[in-house]
Amino acid sequence: MIEQLLFLVCAGAAMAGAVGAAVVRNLFHAALLLGLCLLGTAGLYLFLQQSYLACLQVVVYLGGVLVLVLFATLFSADVRGAVQRTPVWLRAVGGLGALLAAGIAVQLARAVVAHGKNLLPSRRDPENTPDAIGGADAIGDLLVGSWLVPFLLAGFLLTVALVAAVATVRRFRRPLEASRG
Amino acid sequence: MDEFGPHDLASYLLVAVVLFCAGVLAVATRRNAIGVLIGLELMLNAAALQFAAYGHFRALPNDSQGQTAAVFVLVVAAAEAAVALALLFAVYRTSKDIDLEQTQELGS
Repeated sequence: MIEQLLFLVCAGAAMAGAVGAAVVRNLFHAALLLGLCLLGTAGLYLFLQQSYLACLQVVVYLGGVLVLVLFATLFSADVRGAVQRTPVWLRAVGGLGALLAAGIAVQLARAVVAHGKNLLPSRRDPENTPDAIGGADAIGDLLVGSWLVPFLLAGFLLTVALVAAVATVRRFRRPLEASRG
Repeated sequence: MDEFGPHDLASYLLVAVVLFCAGVLAVATRRNAIGVLIGLELMLNAAALQFAAYGHFRALPNDSQGQTAAVFVLVVAAAEAAVALALLFAVYRTSKDIDLEQTQELGS
């Protein structure tokens, strides 16, 4: 009973935060609602018995990405959304696109659940009880095992992203310095 | 779906669909670049949640493939956020605002 209640709280926080982040006019509030959504998703990971993933979600998303987004709101001249109104036709088109995406996603999920191999629609007593740190060692084994190439590619992607971020910012500093000097 | 609860795959998938649709709505309707960035994060989060849910509800013992895929989604999201912040910074330096309708160029 209390498990059901906690699940409802987590799922409700995730969904309410997501919808709020999409429609709230104030960008700072939207970023905070994104944080609520990410926190609710971390709770759902706990229900999936993936506590390592939940910790990663809190550290990487809430500690890293959300702080970056909150920092980025400082760049906006119109955080409150008073000037940049979205036209009504664009709202309608966006809602239509979201409904279309929902239809496609629901059909895909039904197809996967109906025809997926080794997939249980519901399970109450998982036989693979995870270890104390939520399957971190299993993930590590997979990362240096069958997932080695994606692992190396992810490292390469992070390096390229960092270098690209620094290069993008630096390229626009030089003309300013030249104009000053 | 017989019940909306923690032991049902469909309830997790429903949450993921709502998250993804909110992301699509934000990307389509926001005029500010930060709003679009928030929408992208929502969509990536929905994808990671689907990976984790499918991984948990597989009938194989000691299977962590879904979790590992979700970890990679997190890595991609972090890299995307870093690059997006650098781009926002570059746009802000040239035009002093990050309205996507007004922005014409990245730099001088």
